[in-house]
Amino acid sequence: MSTDMRLFLLAVGVFFLALVASILYYYRRSRKIADATWEQLLRRLIFIDRSGVEEIALDAVDEYGVRRTDDHAMELEADQIWTLIGGMDGLKAIEHNSQVLVEMAAYVQKWHPEALVTAEALRLSAREIEWHVERLKAGVQTGNVEHWFANYAQNAVTNYYLMTRQLLNLYEKGNFPMRGDLARALQA
Amino acid sequence: MHLSGLDLLFWAAGLIGHVCLLFVLLIRGRARLFPMFTALITLNVLRTVLLFCIRLYSTRYAYFYTYWGLAILDVAIQLFVVYELATKVFRPQEKWASYSRKGLIWWVLVSIFLAAALTSIPKPPTNLWAQVLFIKGSFFSSALLSELFVGMMILSVTEHLPWRTHVARISQGLGFYSLTTVLIEAAITYFGLKSGTGAYQKLTHIRMIIYLGCVAFWIIMLWRRASTAREMTDQMRRELSAIQTAATKTVEALRSRREV
Repeated sequence: MSTDMRLFLLAVGVFFLALVASILYYYRRSRKIADATWEQLLRRLIFIDRSGVEEIALDAVDEYGVRRTDDHAMELEADQIWTLIGGMDGLKAIEHNSQVLVEMAAYVQKWHPEALVTAEALRLSAREIEWHVERLKAGVQTGNVEHWFANYAQNAVTNYYLMTRQLLNLYEKGNFPMRGDLARALQA
Repeated sequence: MHLSGLDLLFWAAGLIGHVCLLFVLLIRGRARLFPMFTALITLNVLRTVLLFCIRLYSTRYAYFYTYWGLAILDVAIQLFVVYELATKVFRPQEKWASYSRKGLIWWVLVSIFLAAALTSIPKPPTNLWAQVLFIKGSFFSSALLSELFVGMMILSVTEHLPWRTHVARISQGLGFYSLTTVLIEAAITYFGLKSGTGAYQKLTHIRMIIYLGCVAFWIIMLWRRASTAREMTDQMRRELSAIQTAATKTVEALRSRREV
């Protein structure tokens, strides 16, 4: 057997196994998401101090979620935001929880298609949070995080805060019985 | 041209299977939802009849060119079927989310590169340059299609986008078939055609058995009713469209910022 044929068979073997492994991994992941019970979703939420989140978010947006333009907007300094949210660990928890919130919206969407609109909005917010946190993680690696922390962290936290309110609003409007559990888990 | 009993059996089974599937697609109203998939099955019905007639009554050359001409058309329609399925998953409200579209474009480019890289490695043992071209072309298309199906699955799970029942079943059938043909085409590349067509014919029969299994799977699954989904109201559509427009602007604004 020639060398190029040996290399080809080896490459095809690796390629095939990689595809099969990806299918199995993502199939299991999709089943896990689809079969998740409400209690499992609740348990996946990581504890985040709500008062800290609220303080950071309301420094940037008003109670209706509209960006503030008054003289006292965006007054928090980077070190204050760092302390209130618990540094990078807190932001990673926010990134994780934002994904769980999307799944919680998708959970009620199974029976209530009107939840699709909120689920889509949450999905996009979660993506934005992921983007901000990724930038900060990159900043930590390059040692250039101080300058950008306030901006990216506040945007991520504000998005998360608005996500929690959107989700609670969805559960409240739909009069879903899980609303109480959700409010307790989010300390809202 | 001589046809063995096994060849005739596969030919008949393929024709019956495709006609049954086409019947299901038309009777159950799936053709309206999946026009490209219906076109693919229609092409297969016509191809089976046409090739059978040519093989019996015409020359080897006519068969050769018709076979490969239709094979290229078949792969082209399969790519359109992938696009059709992608629109059902990633564009449920007639509008692509910008992140889904970009993710898909990236995946398509990576898939083409990977499939081309794998295809370029071997020199299959053949007598004619045309045989090399056809062996490599078949391997390339099966590798590309299998990558596209796996990529669609990964992106949809990552974005928490659900697959409706019939979309999932068509994708599972085509995805499974593409994946298994990667191995079969790799074996054909290894054995080549230099020392006869014995190995090629056996491997083709295995591929046909797998394909007939997929056809039977589609007949059953597409005959069954999909889980009923309630229709969105016009107001919900408008809200969703506004969210997607706002999100696109946000994502563009984010990308335009200087990165850390």
